[in-house]
Amino acid sequence: MRKTWALVWRELIAYFSSPLAYVVMTAFLFINGYVFWLIVAYLNDPRTQAMAPLKLLFGGTIFFWLFVLFVVPVITMRLLAEERRSGTLEVLLTAPVSETQVVIAKFLSAFAFYVVLWLPTLAYVAILASYSKLDWGPVAAGYLGIALLGGLFLSIGLFTSALVRNQILAAILAFALLVVVFSLGLVENLATGETLKGMLGYMNLWNHMDDYARGILDTRHVVYSLSLCGLFLFLATKALEASKGR
Amino acid sequence: MIEVQGLTKRFVDKDAVADVSFFVPEGEVLGFLGPNGAGKTTTMRMITGYLPPSAGSVRVAGIELAREPLGVRGKIGYLPENVALYPEMRVGEYLSYRAAIEGVPRVHTQARLDEVCERTMIIDVRSQIIGTLSKGYRQRVGLAAALIHQPPVLILDEPTVGLDPRQIVKIRELITELGRDHTVILSTHILPEVEQICRRVLIIDNGKLVADGTPEQLRAGLQGAAELRVQIEASEDDVRTGLTSLPGVTEVESAGSGRFVIAVEGGLDLRRAVFSLAVERSWVLLEMAQTTPSLEDVFLRLTTRDAAGEAPAEAAMPEGEVANA
Repeated sequence: MRKTWALVWRELIAYFSSPLAYVVMTAFLFINGYVFWLIVAYLNDPRTQAMAPLKLLFGGTIFFWLFVLFVVPVITMRLLAEERRSGTLEVLLTAPVSETQVVIAKFLSAFAFYVVLWLPTLAYVAILASYSKLDWGPVAAGYLGIALLGGLFLSIGLFTSALVRNQILAAILAFALLVVVFSLGLVENLATGETLKGMLGYMNLWNHMDDYARGILDTRHVVYSLSLCGLFLFLATKALEASKGR
Repeated sequence: MIEVQGLTKRFVDKDAVADVSFFVPEGEVLGFLGPNGAGKTTTMRMITGYLPPSAGSVRVAGIELAREPLGVRGKIGYLPENVALYPEMRVGEYLSYRAAIEGVPRVHTQARLDEVCERTMIIDVRSQIIGTLSKGYRQRVGLAAALIHQPPVLILDEPTVGLDPRQIVKIRELITELGRDHTVILSTHILPEVEQICRRVLIIDNGKLVADGTPEQLRAGLQGAAELRVQIEASEDDVRTGLTSLPGVTEVESAGSGRFVIAVEGGLDLRRAVFSLAVERSWVLLEMAQTTPSLEDVFLRLTTRDAAGEAPAEAAMPEGEVANA
C-alpha cells in the first residue's frame, strides 16, 4: 500500500510541476464559468420552463461532453508513454512493484487530478444554494456520475498511454477510443431492432449522465462504468507487461 | 549469489544473447566486457527482470526470477545505461520516493537517505531539481537511488559513460568501495576500468561468452602475443638477420631509426639472447622492453578475430555477422 501511495504522490508532483496542469485547470474554469453563466441567463428568461440549473450543467448540454472528451486524453497521455520514452519505466519495472500496482497508482493520480478539476464547481452549487432551495439528491448523483464516467474515460486514456511512447499519439488514440465509446450509445437513435436498440441504449453515456443529473441512481449505469473502467485498467496492465523491454 | 543458466534472448532476426551461463559468488565484482551491441545490456536487463528471456533461467540470492520476479527485483540495485530520472523532482524527493517503492521502512528512510547521499557525494544538491543537474551528478543520483534499499546485488550498466575524467575516477573509487559489501556486475567497454575494479572478467561478443577469468588469467592465455621492443645502433640489415635467426622469433619488424618490434613465440623470454647477440656483434643496445599483453589485447583479439583474421569465415556466413556488427 505504501508503495502505491508513493507512486501516486510522485505522479501528483509531476502533474503540478508541469504547466499543462494549470493550463487545463484554467481552461476548465473558464469554460465552466461561461457555461454556468449561460445556463443562469437562459433560466432567467421568463419564457423558459422551470428546470434545475445543475442538471443542465452536469451533462444537460454538449459542453460537459466536449470538455471531458478533450481533457481526459490530455490528463492521461503522459502517464505511461512518457515513462517509456524517457526510460524511467525501466527503473520502475525493475523495482519491487508489480505492473498492476503501477497501473492502479497512475489511475488514482489521474483521477485525483480530475477531481481537483471539478472541485471549483462546488462554488456554483454554493451560489445556487444561497439563492434558492436546492435539491441535494440530484447534486450528489450528478457528482457521482461525473466521477464514474470520468473514471471510465481516464482508464481508456491510461490504456492508450500504455501502448505507445509518444504522448501526442497516446492522446489522439485516447480521443479516438473515447469518441467510439461515447458514440456507441448514440447509435441507439439509428438502430431499428428492439434488442439492438435496448443494448445500445444501455451503453448510451449521454442518457447515463442525464439520469445522474436528474437524481436517478440506476445501478446498471454504475455497473457499466465500473466494469468498463476495470476492463481498461486490466488491458493497460497487460499492455504494460507485454511492452517490457521494448 | 547470481546464477545465470543458458540465458538466451531471441529477437526477430537474431539471437541478441545466446546460451550465456555464469555464476557470480557473493562479494565478487564482475566486469562484463564487450563491444557495443554485443549483448551486455540485454543480459543485464534479463537479470533484472526488465526483459523476459527467450530461454534459460536466472537465480539471484537463491530466488528464481521466473517464479518470484518481485523478490528478485528487491534484491537488486540497478543503474540502467541511460540513467533515467524524473527531471521535475528534487533529489531528496526522488530518493525518498525510490526508498518507498523499494520497500525501505518509513522509519529508516531518513537514515538511508543520509547514508547514500554521503556515499555518492550528492549532499550539496539534495534540494536541487534533478533537471538542473549536470550529467555527473545525475549519474551519482542514479547510483544513490540504486543503493537506497541496501541491495545485496548491484548491477551497473556502463556507469562511467559520459562523465569527465575526474568524475570517472570518483565513480570508480566508489564502485571499488561498494564492491567490499556488495556483489557487483559492472558492464563497460572501458578496459582500464575493469583492470582497476574487477576481480573477474566476462567477455561477451555477438551474444556469446568468449572469455571468463581474472584479468591475469586472461592475459596469460594470450602469451603468444608477447613482444620485445628494442632499439639498436647498427646496420639495419645486420640487426634484422641477426634477430630473425634467434630461436623463438616469429617476426621482426623495423619501426625506423633502429627500432625493432620482435614477435616472440609462446611466452619465451628472449631478452638475454638479444643482449648476448648485441654484445657478440658489438651492436649498441639503446633500449629493450618486453611488453606483456594488456587486457586490451585480449579483448581485441577475442572480439575482432572474425573481422580481421578470419575474413573468409565471415564471408561464408554474412547475415549474422553483419547484423551483429
